Amino acid sequence: MTSLSYTLVITGAPWASQAPQSALSFARETLAAGHQIDRVFLYGDGVLLASALATPPSDEPHWPRLWAGFLGQHQLPAAVCIASALRRGVIDDTERARYELPASNLLAPYSIAGLGEWVEGNLKSDRVLYFHGSN
Amino acid sequence: MRTLVVVDQAPYGNWTGREALDMVFSLAAFDQPAALLFLGTGVNWLRAGQNPEAIGQKSLEKNLAAAPVFGVSDIYACETSCRRFGLDAAGLAGNVTLAQSVLALINTYDQVVFAG
Repeated sequence: MTSLSYTLVITGAPWASQAPQSALSFARETLAAGHQIDRVFLYGDGVLLASALATPPSDEPHWPRLWAGFLGQHQLPAAVCIASALRRGVIDDTERARYELPASNLLAPYSIAGLGEWVEGNLKSDRVLYFHGSN
Repeated sequence: MRTLVVVDQAPYGNWTGREALDMVFSLAAFDQPAALLFLGTGVNWLRAGQNPEAIGQKSLEKNLAAAPVFGVSDIYACETSCRRFGLDAAGLAGNVTLAQSVLALINTYDQVVFAG
């Protein structure tokens, strides 16, 4: 079997779309099938998946934590788009200081990056797969 | 690697089209050939004379006009969609090429990205 490398782009928000769940199911099966995930890039509303402050009721799946756990377990690089994140209030310590904000909330292991990270994914991965919300 | 970014949603109702524009500009900034295709209700992006100040948004027409500055010179609109929305050449903003066959256009690109 030929092994493929993937960049996954998630643009749908948790609890507003199915995108994060679909992406997680795909990511698990992809690794299980012997393929590789180069990076995960959150864009648009998808950046809300990287909020450390999301607090769903305790009997509901916690998609941000499930995703973060999966990324950590497999040591996968994951970034949120800086422009998307700042607009939607997903902030790391650097941006908190830069804009003198009262708090930061970027969930580990995500980092904040520019769209260049996505461009690089386009160039390096065999496939770039998008998980959109349903606007 | 040549990329075609497709915008198939009407302007102003959500942010996905704007973010698609950022994607195409970003590809161009990294010297990756990129083009835009407006399709379905997305062709309304190209309507001349947009005046969205009253709803607190910036003009997408102006954003699009900046495309050549960012290195994106190929902007296409699906001809069938334009006809559906009553848009003719005179009603289109900027330098837009009408695509008679979306399939033929898509086939000339290495990858196609939908805005969301």
